[in-house]
Amino acid sequence: MEVKSRMRRTASVAMVALMGLGLAACSAGEADADLNPDEVSGEISLLTPIFEGSPGQDLLEDELLPQFYEEYPNVTVNVDYTTYGNLNEKLTTAVVSGLVPDVMLMGVGWIEAFADKGVLADLGELGLSEADLKESYTDEIVEAGMWDGNVYAVPIMLDTRFGVARMDILKEAGYDSPPSSWDELIEIAEATTVRSSNGSLERAGFDMMSLDARQAFETVLFSAGGDLFNADATEPTFNSDEGVAALGLMADLVNKYEVEDIGFTSTDDIVNPLINGRAAMGIAHNNLWTQALEADETVLDNLEPFVIQGESSGMFFGGTLATVANNSKNPQAARALLEFLSSPEAALAANEQRGNVPALTELLDSDYVQSNRFVQFAMENLDVAKREGGPAQWLEVRGDFAPAVQAALLGQKTPEEALDDLAALVQTSIDR
Amino acid sequence: MTTTDHRPARVAKAASVPGTATAPPRKRKRISMAEKKRRRAGWLMITPSVIHVGLWTLIPVIATFYLSFTDYGIFSAPKWIWFDNYVEMFNDPVFMQSIGNTIWYTFWTVPVSMAVAVVVAVLLNQGLKLQKFYRTAFFLPQVTATVAIAMVWLWIFNPQYGLLNAGLEAIGLPGQAWLVDPQWALPSVILVGAWQGIGIKMLIYIAALQNIDESLYEAASLDGASAVRQFFSITVPMLKPATFFVFIISIIGAFQVFDQIYVLTDGGPANATTMMTYEVYRSAFQEFRMGMASAQSVALFAFLLFVTLISRRVTKEED
Repeated sequence: MEVKSRMRRTASVAMVALMGLGLAACSAGEADADLNPDEVSGEISLLTPIFEGSPGQDLLEDELLPQFYEEYPNVTVNVDYTTYGNLNEKLTTAVVSGLVPDVMLMGVGWIEAFADKGVLADLGELGLSEADLKESYTDEIVEAGMWDGNVYAVPIMLDTRFGVARMDILKEAGYDSPPSSWDELIEIAEATTVRSSNGSLERAGFDMMSLDARQAFETVLFSAGGDLFNADATEPTFNSDEGVAALGLMADLVNKYEVEDIGFTSTDDIVNPLINGRAAMGIAHNNLWTQALEADETVLDNLEPFVIQGESSGMFFGGTLATVANNSKNPQAARALLEFLSSPEAALAANEQRGNVPALTELLDSDYVQSNRFVQFAMENLDVAKREGGPAQWLEVRGDFAPAVQAALLGQKTPEEALDDLAALVQTSIDR
Repeated sequence: MTTTDHRPARVAKAASVPGTATAPPRKRKRISMAEKKRRRAGWLMITPSVIHVGLWTLIPVIATFYLSFTDYGIFSAPKWIWFDNYVEMFNDPVFMQSIGNTIWYTFWTVPVSMAVAVVVAVLLNQGLKLQKFYRTAFFLPQVTATVAIAMVWLWIFNPQYGLLNAGLEAIGLPGQAWLVDPQWALPSVILVGAWQGIGIKMLIYIAALQNIDESLYEAASLDGASAVRQFFSITVPMLKPATFFVFIISIIGAFQVFDQIYVLTDGGPANATTMMTYEVYRSAFQEFRMGMASAQSVALFAFLLFVTLISRRVTKEED
């Protein structure tokens, strides 16, 4: 399976490389025209939370970097692998010690803090403009890499969250399609929840616990028509009526409708409950498709993605973006690597390895996207997807969301109290 | 009534001579070349250690105290803000909860693991069969990475397929969501902490047990003392110095618990298992507030110092 996957990836990379040559003019690679590979040289460092583990490392070192070196033979790349869990520590120590990596891959919501503090280079000064990027990416994705009107990051991949239904279970309960409103969601979730004679939960009607509590809340918040912050990101708005309704729905699903019990699933579960049938519906990450492909291919036909529909369409996206350090000693070499990593061929390979959603709109037609229903679904609905982040203090406060959401789900606080307390905390951080 | 001069003879003699109220200044002792050489060699030998302690302990400690009075967010220079971090810290309900959790964790893990360790040590000091195997088995958690241990406990605590719930269900008791139910999360973490701490304490107790004079037990046996009586009247009192040492290092270790929280619960659910060290980590590496993290570290240091001094005083009084 690994060999098959590698062959398919190599074929995809080759095909997209050809496609990329033709499309380079309207992608982030456009600025390549400004770089003369023979004149670009130097030793640069890359800090990456993706490409981790053996498969990722093999992809980067055996397939992608050799392609980069072919084009830029005078550049040497030293790779520092990490995970998103440890990226904070890596970046903190790097900034404190003054040894900031030349190219850093970081998440949506991270750019604001590092750009605001002058750690990141303004890519406009290196020849990448907002207008160029908006030809290749949707506006919301480009804006995830911007701060104060300037471009600081180029997207590589997206991590999306949306609703997923097990259609075999729904059909058994008499439903032919996933819910198209909150009321339907509650109705179907109740109808598909299974408890044993002693009341213990055997199947959750709607699973929200197997992904991060913050991201689950954000997805429901967006479906309620709410936003995390106001337009200029100076005030939290997640405690608006929409936010309270969103958290209220989540708390009701657990405590009133009892479609899921606390602890029934968790982020540590090895197999997602939608794959092994322990949940009929749930909020899931797009790589659920890849997980199902590896765990149980027979379940693929029964997995149906859907946008959680409330007052608005609820879909969340995070992702990975490439940035260049402001103090890079070899900014042109760093820019060359950034453009290479965000180019169609490299981005496609990285996305395929992780089962993620390519940020480049043109990759919608690639074999990988067409063969992965969840990725295809995510790309087709990116126009309704919203991201997290906003203020420069986002990294400071995002860790406070999960305890607040958990407090509401556990009934320790009402949704309104939990969100108001959190909003006060966030506002203090913004004002600090 | 007569008075007696208790002063040392040399002082008394000097005071008795008119015009000389105090002793004459002592002549500076001449240091021989060999002694000088010996001292120089001594200084030379401890220099690496002094440099090491200075660089990696003294300077960071001083820096921590300094930074605790600043607003330092790594991106810009520290700004002196006096006691603002401390005021905010003690008004932060999450940090106050972390203090409570840490004390509660320490209150349970230290005595429980000490009690188990002393019993295990006594048992493994009796010349049992497979004694070495048991000693190794009990000590293994101490030398195994906490992350690896925590992964095993994650499986044990798993509500669906975990060993603990399977065992409970086998005897007809309901399973629990151990790490995600706020009622059970902290006790679960305490259980792991107590279990993990047994090994090193057992080792120290075994070493101390082997220093107890056998003749004490022989004499007690001749007097007809039972094994239990011998344990409480000889073993426990003779282990007092080791117990004090184990107590102090256990308290310090318990107050510094971090990695098992990081892996098992991430401080949740709803901050139910957050600890002081975890809050320090969150302030430093999630919120990038190094000044606040330093203030929290100073608070942790103050707690440890206080507990150590109290323990020392109590032990001294008993001695």
